[in-house]
Amino acid sequence: MMLSKRKFILALAGAAGMMLAGASAHAQSALDDIVKTKTIKIAIPTDYPPYGFVGLDMKPQGLDIDMASLVASKMGVKLELVPVTSANRIPALQTHKADLVISSLGKNAEREAVIDFSHAYAPFFQAVFAPASLPVKSWADLSGKTVGVTRGAMEDQELTKVAPTDVQIRRFEDHNATIAAFVAGQTQLVATSSAVADNMIRKNPQLAAEFKLLLKESPCFIGVAKGESALMAKVNEIILAAKNSGELDALSKKWLGRAAGDLPL
Amino acid sequence: MIEFSLWDILRNLLLALRWTAALSLVAFIGGGLTGALLLYARLAGGRVTDRLIGLYVQLFQGTPLLMQLFLAYFGIALFGIDVSAWTAAALALTLYTSAFLTEIWRGCVASVPKGQWEASSSLALSFVEQMRYVILPQATRVAIAPTVGFLVQVIKGTALASVIGFVELTKAGTMISNTTFKPFTVFGFVALLYFALCFPVSLTARYLERKTYGPRH
Repeated sequence: MMLSKRKFILALAGAAGMMLAGASAHAQSALDDIVKTKTIKIAIPTDYPPYGFVGLDMKPQGLDIDMASLVASKMGVKLELVPVTSANRIPALQTHKADLVISSLGKNAEREAVIDFSHAYAPFFQAVFAPASLPVKSWADLSGKTVGVTRGAMEDQELTKVAPTDVQIRRFEDHNATIAAFVAGQTQLVATSSAVADNMIRKNPQLAAEFKLLLKESPCFIGVAKGESALMAKVNEIILAAKNSGELDALSKKWLGRAAGDLPL
Repeated sequence: MIEFSLWDILRNLLLALRWTAALSLVAFIGGGLTGALLLYARLAGGRVTDRLIGLYVQLFQGTPLLMQLFLAYFGIALFGIDVSAWTAAALALTLYTSAFLTEIWRGCVASVPKGQWEASSSLALSFVEQMRYVILPQATRVAIAPTVGFLVQVIKGTALASVIGFVELTKAGTMISNTTFKPFTVFGFVALLYFALCFPVSLTARYLERKTYGPRH
């Protein structure tokens, strides 16, 4: 019943070899795979209004989902949405769970080391928000206060850079937890995106929260796995065409209430 | 922005509850069967088998379930095998449950006095007969409480599958509360639904314990 030890090790090595062969066959062929299977897998957020959130039927909707459908329809393939959390966006790409990440992904040097970015497709900025009664004029004013932030999000890294050392940064697993903590008074300030903050302020007028300090202007880019240059060229072509035809502006107006503005290439 | 009424929230959570229940069932059944097989192998096998299974148990008891889920979802994908969130969650929870159950049950079997083994083998019972007629009836009674306690843990453990994007009760709660910005209402319902799932399991355990202990009092 038991395999001998040597046979077992050989079998293991064989299985590992087969898996690696399968993995290397994946490299550099994302576009071919998409064309062959007529399906594109796109990672989208489900907990980040207005970029990606659920409707009454629990189906995802939002700017990122519309952008994903736009890309899929321009490529003439079926769209398969892969819901991801903020921290899982890059692993999803690296492990081929998704061909593209359209999940309000900002660009920075650390991320550029592991994945490639397309042209920008939507505007986005992060800032620190707090009740109007809390006097905050500069970064130094944050001293000794508690700030909530979503772990692994852009604003986490930016805040860590600019905040004085005695700021208590509380990190939460998703934007909802971050906002919930701020609304519940567990943190005095919150560092988050304009989109999330707008929504939070509208739903909680009693907080009288307002914009305090700008963290970073960081538009959204589409993430592509490293080295997939053919797929990248195709995606960039679609973004440029959509930009020139005004489709990007229309998306931005529909979900963010303002034009896309001057997006970086 | 769309407004969720209370009924919309509850309705969607109830739909998601199906997945929590399904995931728990798969973990119970898959984990129970694997756990039982491992227990049998451990009792019947030699020292090497015992060590290997001991290692397996330590591996799953000594690492967080969250990591096991991540590894099952992203780790396997690195080898070019595409596992869905459902498969990864079911696999990780089954292995996790089997490791804990086999260890719990091993302890229960070990709690049966050695004299019972010796007496039954002196009656020329085979290993299977010893287990069937002497050891298991006594071990089962001891096993009920810890087994059910652990199963309730597993039900709540399925919440961790939300991190790999599997939409079960907790993930649905997060998604809805991110749209409605009513975390207290949404997570209040989520907690109630978990309770509604776990409480009957505990009640069953109480009933089973009473049934097996009863005649002795």
